Amino acid sequence: MGEGTEPLERRLGRDDFLKLAAVVGGAGLVVGPTAVAEAARVRLAKESGRLQVLDWAGYGNDGGQAMFAAYVKKHPQNKPRFTYMTNESDALAKMHAGLKPDLFRPYVGWVKYFAESGLVEPWNPKLIPSFKNLNPFMVKAGQYKGKQYGIPQDWGFDAILYRSDKVHPKAKSWGLLFDERYKGRIAWFDDLNMLVIAGLYLGFPRPWRQTDAELSKAAKFLSSKKHLARMLWASETDMDNAFASGDIWIAYAWPNDWVQMKAKKLKVVYMHPKEKPIAWVGMLMLGKDTPRRGLAHAYADAWSSAPSARWLENNYGYGHANTKARPSSSDLLRALQLANPKAVTEPNAHLDRDIPRRAVYARKWQEVKAS
Amino acid sequence: MGVETRADTPPAPQRRRRPRLDLTTPTLLGPPLAWLAVFFVVPIAIVGAYSVNALSFDPGPHAVTLSAWHSFLHSSIYLKLFWKSVQMSLLVSTAVVLLAYPLAYFLALSGTKRKYVLLLLLIAPFLTSYLLRVLAWKVILGNEGVINSFLVWTGLRSPDHPLSQLLYSRFAVMLVLGYIWLPFVALPIFVTLESLDRRLFEAATDLGASRWQTFRRVTLPLSLPGVVAAFLFVFIPTLGEFVTPSLVGGASGYMYGNQIVDLFGTGFPDWQTGSVLALFLLGVVALLTIVFSRFLNSREVTAA
Repeated sequence: MGEGTEPLERRLGRDDFLKLAAVVGGAGLVVGPTAVAEAARVRLAKESGRLQVLDWAGYGNDGGQAMFAAYVKKHPQNKPRFTYMTNESDALAKMHAGLKPDLFRPYVGWVKYFAESGLVEPWNPKLIPSFKNLNPFMVKAGQYKGKQYGIPQDWGFDAILYRSDKVHPKAKSWGLLFDERYKGRIAWFDDLNMLVIAGLYLGFPRPWRQTDAELSKAAKFLSSKKHLARMLWASETDMDNAFASGDIWIAYAWPNDWVQMKAKKLKVVYMHPKEKPIAWVGMLMLGKDTPRRGLAHAYADAWSSAPSARWLENNYGYGHANTKARPSSSDLLRALQLANPKAVTEPNAHLDRDIPRRAVYARKWQEVKAS
Repeated sequence: MGVETRADTPPAPQRRRRPRLDLTTPTLLGPPLAWLAVFFVVPIAIVGAYSVNALSFDPGPHAVTLSAWHSFLHSSIYLKLFWKSVQMSLLVSTAVVLLAYPLAYFLALSGTKRKYVLLLLLIAPFLTSYLLRVLAWKVILGNEGVINSFLVWTGLRSPDHPLSQLLYSRFAVMLVLGYIWLPFVALPIFVTLESLDRRLFEAATDLGASRWQTFRRVTLPLSLPGVVAAFLFVFIPTLGEFVTPSLVGGASGYMYGNQIVDLFGTGFPDWQTGSVLALFLLGVVALLTIVFSRFLNSREVTAA
């Protein structure tokens, strides 16, 4: 044995071993990704049909084409076919009714729900080259039990938009949505998140996990103030039109609405309430057992790229998780606090989160609407 | 030249006819019945199954229960909303019938030669889409819409205090529903009035009745089946309406139909409660149809 081992030991001395390791490592670095890329290419070639995307209005062929133009260029035979969702509940209902999207976009508060629902499967971030440029905090928010269920994309805030020439808030507070002085000029969001807002305003310690008593109090409060709201908006376009035409002066709004109203030369302020705004991050999620897994990853990559991110910020006024992107407007940069990588969380904002008793919240919100 | 018949001709022997299977009725009725079964009865049965949890949105085992029915019947919220919708539909239906009757009366009985042209004008809005017609009202009723602009221009309102109740209100929903359904009401009344026997009016006049008496004692009673049918044509669909309230109703114009839509989709899906609400609506509408149909003379309505 000793005779046999000597030449080998001589051949693989420390220096030799390190050299060999470097060569093998280098080869691995070159061959490894090549092999992964080749495997992905082969898999992609096997995938057929149009990519089924369930997304929000404005993110499909109705204005959002720039966000996935790179994908369409690479895969002209597999162009996305869109079905639109009005919110996550709507997406959930559509999927339970039989829709099988290859990918769709819930927001950060729904990651846990969908990950546990069995309707989605985790992504393979290695197949998304732009993934490395995404905000690590948001990337983490898209994980559930260590797996990447959500690829973070667009983000922004739920806050208050108001006409500064008509409205004079007593305080920077969510209370402006419940201000008697502006009866008939206020628009609430048609979503159970209004109960969270009421919880924030009423000072509940955990607005996303309200007790029965708190929830009843929040619902009662909203019912008592509902006469002030002229509209409960579910469509952003409807709200924008009503705001632009002067039908409403105060609205629960997203940054894009502020951009739109400024473009119409209205004097508007996007308020940062003292109870803090709610921040949201759009998460692309992969449909369970999708037959177009590779294409879905390619689509997510197109959305994650820096040019797409810049386009989104400049045109829609939302932030994008790609840290390489910066909007050309300094106003927007300031409003979205894009220089702050943790703008979407404490102490700046409350990041939207899972509501364990979502069905109970939903029932309460329905009661408020019906009241 | 006539056909000659001879009485003494012996009758031709009758051929023995084999009984033939008459397939006319099943052939004619089969497809519509199958259609009704597949697209009405089966979906209703599925909704019924959801309402008692025999089918469920949630995966896994689930027991049949009447809990959603119990909650619904003991919930003041849903029943109050239903009553609100009933009131709105009743108001719309009544107002539209009252508006449409004189119109139909004029078209049918005034003797104008252009009545069919006028009738065509009445139904002309149907040539445009429902959605477009509803959205057009937003332009008219908004704070900077046609009506408010006119009021500001005439000095009746200041620009800072427009009539904001015109849009995103219960009033807006009822106004738009009335506008949408007016032709549906006018048409059956028109057809009923036009098919009335004119000799009855002459007889009434001959017997000394005034025009008002003729209307009250002859025309109105005879046209009632058309009026009731017209009323139902409006009342039933508006009771479950959800498109118009979502477009022009705002927070206060929310109706029972919107609640059903929310429960099935845009709210957090609760198909069990949604099914209960939908079936309750269906039951009430069926009951009302049965009750109202007692007022309908089927022959006259068929003629209409």
